[in-house]
Amino acid sequence: MPDTTSDIAFTEDNKFDSNNVQFIIGPYEDYALARAVELKELNKEIEISILNIGLSENDSLLRKGLAIGADKAYRINSEPFDSNFVAQNIANFISEHKFDLILMGKESIDYNSGLVHYLTGSILGIQTFNPVSYLDIENNKDIIIKTEVESGINKIKANLPLILGCQEPIAEWKIPNMRGIMGARSKELIVINPTDLKPALEYIKHDIPSNKKEIKYIDKEDIDLLVDELKLKNL
Amino acid sequence: MPVLVFIEFTNGKINESSCQATTLANGQGDEVYGVTTSTDKNYNSTLGLKGFDKIFMINDFKNIECLSKIILDHDIKIIISPGSDLFREISSLISISHKFSIVSNVKKILDHKTAITTVYTGKVESEVNVINEKIIYLINKNIIESDTYDKNTDIIKIESKNLRINYEILEETKIDHDISLSDADIVVSAGRGLKGPENWKMIEDLAKKLHAATACSKPVSDAGWRSHHEHVGQTGLKISPKIYFAIGISGAIQHLAGVNSSKIIIVINNDPDAPFFKSADYGIVGDAFEIIPKILKALN
Ligand SMILES: Cc1cc2nc3c(=O)[nH]c(=O)nc-3n(C[C@H](O)[C@H](O)[C@H](O)COP(=O)(O)OP(=O)(O)OC[C@H]3O[C@@H](n4cnc5c(N)ncnc54)[C@H](O)[C@@H]3O)c2cc1C
Repeated sequence: MPDTTSDIAFTEDNKFDSNNVQFIIGPYEDYALARAVELKELNKEIEISILNIGLSENDSLLRKGLAIGADKAYRINSEPFDSNFVAQNIANFISEHKFDLILMGKESIDYNSGLVHYLTGSILGIQTFNPVSYLDIENNKDIIIKTEVESGINKIKANLPLILGCQEPIAEWKIPNMRGIMGARSKELIVINPTDLKPALEYIKHDIPSNKKEIKYIDKEDIDLLVDELKLKNL
Repeated sequence: MPVLVFIEFTNGKINESSCQATTLANGQGDEVYGVTTSTDKNYNSTLGLKGFDKIFMINDFKNIECLSKIILDHDIKIIISPGSDLFREISSLISISHKFSIVSNVKKILDHKTAITTVYTGKVESEVNVINEKIIYLINKNIIESDTYDKNTDIIKIESKNLRINYEILEETKIDHDISLSDADIVVSAGRGLKGPENWKMIEDLAKKLHAATACSKPVSDAGWRSHHEHVGQTGLKISPKIYFAIGISGAIQHLAGVNSSKIIIVINNDPDAPFFKSADYGIVGDAFEIIPKILKALN
């Protein structure tokens, strides 16, 4: 994902302009990875794999994930065209590799669709929860989570396999240390070919609306003016 | 061609986001059908006023058999729905079982197959064309004014067995918000400038007075001053109220990402150079501890 402070721009042919943009692991995925690493610290039998659908420029971020504590990295070698494309590829990967617990971010910070976990769960028939703000494993098998629902927050005990869309405060973001970085060099990064599937959506054009506004300053000695202004606008 | 709308209820009534979905649906189809889990038949039969020709009463959205029956019996090709988590989940199930394409974060529907969506957390507006004939549009909040109609509504009840769930709910914590943050017309939000959780009383008073919801910046919820559900921004809730008060919040780009589609932004900050002023409609430079009591007084 482009860093959250980057200025987003598009080239003339409607492509994302990656000049001057630093790429990061998406903040929600970063929470998911951080929690996985914490769980592994408590139970050394846990093996963590990380998966990305993207091109080779993402390899350095996968190495970062390995340095934070993942054991293995996989990259499906394709642009991530849309949610359905990504979910179908993840589903194929999961059915081949048989994972118990699949952690994703609540949503991506580029297209913000919040769909990939649900779509993957629908394809595979795996119970999916989103957004999940707490995750623990009890008795080595019971998965305890907290998830937001319309009326509030539910604490749930569920069985594996599960797909969870993570958000804070599930964990705090982790920064790789020197030992992690050295160790990551010898870990496996496996590149896989994508599923042959056409994108479902076609982006015709991108506009960047200006957020610049005409500001009206109100003197702190004249607060009534603010109240009058809002009344005038029927608010 | 009928358009299907998923109806969301807030406090026993169809909520504004569902009304807006219905208005959009009336612009796209000759008939508009709604699906609801509300069991209040009398209330449901008044929904013609909101633009529905038919209402299907089902007992659980997650019971995909009911929805499949509606989609197949009426040859539904377009579904327009509020973009809540529940409806994202339901849309995903339908997308996989009936081959619908989902377009999320819709700001405007241009015609059956093209829409304007917001991406990069509101920084970019993209025109998207759907290749498939069967489409689910998940709409953003507060994108149009909803209309009223004068229709007669047929009520159709679809019976189904209760869904079996394979997990156990250990504890339900109700969040007692009189006004839910994501639906509120007015939001009073405060940041690290308030110095500590003990100072939120004036924020709550102001919110109460304005019938507003309260929100906060990320460091405030990280520090445990306020609960995590109040956190708005890139990694928190994205909201678009009519009025957003930002009190003692600097206006970091990640914070703005969650609130910049608010209609009117009022910034109160003692630093005249705080970046938030660049995105504000109204600005008051000064100490929040002095200004909030003044606003409360002016409102009285
Ligand atoms: C990946 C990522 C995601 C993030 N996501 C989010 C997010 O979702 N939401 C979010 O909010 N942040 C997010 N952040 C953090 C963000 O970058 C800022 O650090 C944060 O928004 C700052 O919060 P603040 O404005 O409350 O605090 P500060 O930046 O410390 O600002 C406090 C403000 O209060 C003013 N002030 C001080 N005293 C007074 C007074 N007496 N009266 C009036 N004003 C006063 C100061 O002038 C200052 O402008 C994210 C950061 C990263 C890296």
